[in-house]
Amino acid sequence: MEQFFDRLSEKLYQSVIYDNRWKMYLEGLSLTLQIAVVAVIIGVVLGIAVAMVKTSAQGSKNPILRFFNVICTAYTTVIRGTPQMIQLLILYGISAIPNGVIACFIGFGINSGAYVSETFRSGIQSVDGGQMEAARSLGLTRWQAMTSVVLPQAVKNVLPAIFNEFIMLIKDTSIAGYIAVNDLTKNTNSIRGRTYDSTSLFIAAGIYLILTYILTQILKRLERRFRKSDRN
Amino acid sequence: MIEISGLTKRYGDHVVLNNVSEHIRPGEKVAVIGPSGSGKSTLLRCLNLLETPDGGKITFDGTEITDPRCDVNEVRRHMGMVFQHFNLFNNLTILRNITLAPVKLKIKSEEDAKKDALALLARIGLSDKADTYPAMLSGGQKQRVAIVRALAMNPKVMLFDEPTSALDPEMVGEVLDLIREVAREGMTMVIVTHEMGFAREVASRVVFVDEGNIKETGSPRDVFDSPQDARLREFLSKVI
Ligand SMILES: Nc1ncnc2c1ncn2[C@@H]1O[C@H](COP(=O)(O)OP(=O)(O)OP(=O)(O)O)[C@@H](O)[C@H]1O
Ligand SMILES: [Mg+2]
Repeated sequence: MEQFFDRLSEKLYQSVIYDNRWKMYLEGLSLTLQIAVVAVIIGVVLGIAVAMVKTSAQGSKNPILRFFNVICTAYTTVIRGTPQMIQLLILYGISAIPNGVIACFIGFGINSGAYVSETFRSGIQSVDGGQMEAARSLGLTRWQAMTSVVLPQAVKNVLPAIFNEFIMLIKDTSIAGYIAVNDLTKNTNSIRGRTYDSTSLFIAAGIYLILTYILTQILKRLERRFRKSDRN
Repeated sequence: MIEISGLTKRYGDHVVLNNVSEHIRPGEKVAVIGPSGSGKSTLLRCLNLLETPDGGKITFDGTEITDPRCDVNEVRRHMGMVFQHFNLFNNLTILRNITLAPVKLKIKSEEDAKKDALALLARIGLSDKADTYPAMLSGGQKQRVAIVRALAMNPKVMLFDEPTSALDPEMVGEVLDLIREVAREGMTMVIVTHEMGFAREVASRVVFVDEGNIKETGSPRDVFDSPQDARLREFLSKVI
């Protein structure tokens, strides 16, 4: 028993304290969070744009809109039909992209956008059609009606889902290490390589778990408050 | 003011409006009655192009609005519409509901729009609701706000699609009172309604729509007291 605790504390010492290794977790975590935040922002912007094009193009004969609709459909089809890892590697190989972190911002952002576009689309469709009609009947353009009446309601409806997407991104970004980005997973794996011991992996798993658990609790509270404000 | 000729509207094979012609003169209050599914709403919605007609011509104030080159948004500014389900903007306060279009379309400055909106709210006794959201209002209050929202654009015509059908009975009166008032001020109005008493009292002319056609039109007295069309007689015997 005593031997076990001795070995454990030695492992913990090697994985956390020795050579200031705890800093590597924090630096990795910081990068992981940065990538997730930037990606979710890019994803939301792209997702809203795609959702607006797709819902507007429905039943429209406008050739410009139809053209954009084709592009958006190609975008979501390609992104959803190919592994994210490959997308990331391709981006990393583009010489105009200076480093892995930028590639991650763009790569995870583009990937997330393809998925959340569907969320926004159903959000827009869940807004009663009468809202758009009333706005149009007053002489507002489709764009004005969309931006001042429909979209604000749609975004409010899907906010919890977007927050959830952010939580997912925190975990999904753990492949960033493949393109030389020192995120939490990559740094943890470096420590594992130096210590010849997997304790660091458990530590990283714990960090991810605590983080996503806390965020999920915040999400639940958010949802509850939303439901309350919808009732009155 | 509105000249409709040969208006046709189809959904797939289903002909909803079949070659409808009608002339609505300035100041007229036209009540549109008819059985469910006869095409009343579709007719009304074609007038401000919420539905695109498949055939025929509509001229509004000298402009052919069915012309593909016509600016639909410009036309709609001058036609207020009131819906069965109110359709107040849920994400905006009552005040913003009324000022949104005049401000966005640069018809009024922010201040003027606000001033006008508050005056309209005072008129319907809802000044204290200016900063609340539609969800806090009763059905009757919502519909009255919807009416003044349309009035805030200073329209030349008001279109009403069963404005009281979604209301609890005790709220019908307050909405009809407001419509009556707007009528008295000389507004040109087209009202689709199931309230025959109201149609008789307020309308200057009644139009009976059946199976996508106008089967009879005339003064309320002629239409209600001595109906000519057999279908109209049958319809009236059921609703009165
Ligand atoms: N978007 C649509 N697509 C297909 N059919 C439609 C559509 N809108 C209306 N219709 C059909 O057109 C017909 C006329 O509809 P409309 O709403 O104009 O009738 P209405 O006279 O207003 O009836 P109600 O008194 O029930 O409101 C109905 O048979 C309806 O089913
Ligand atoms: Mg109807």
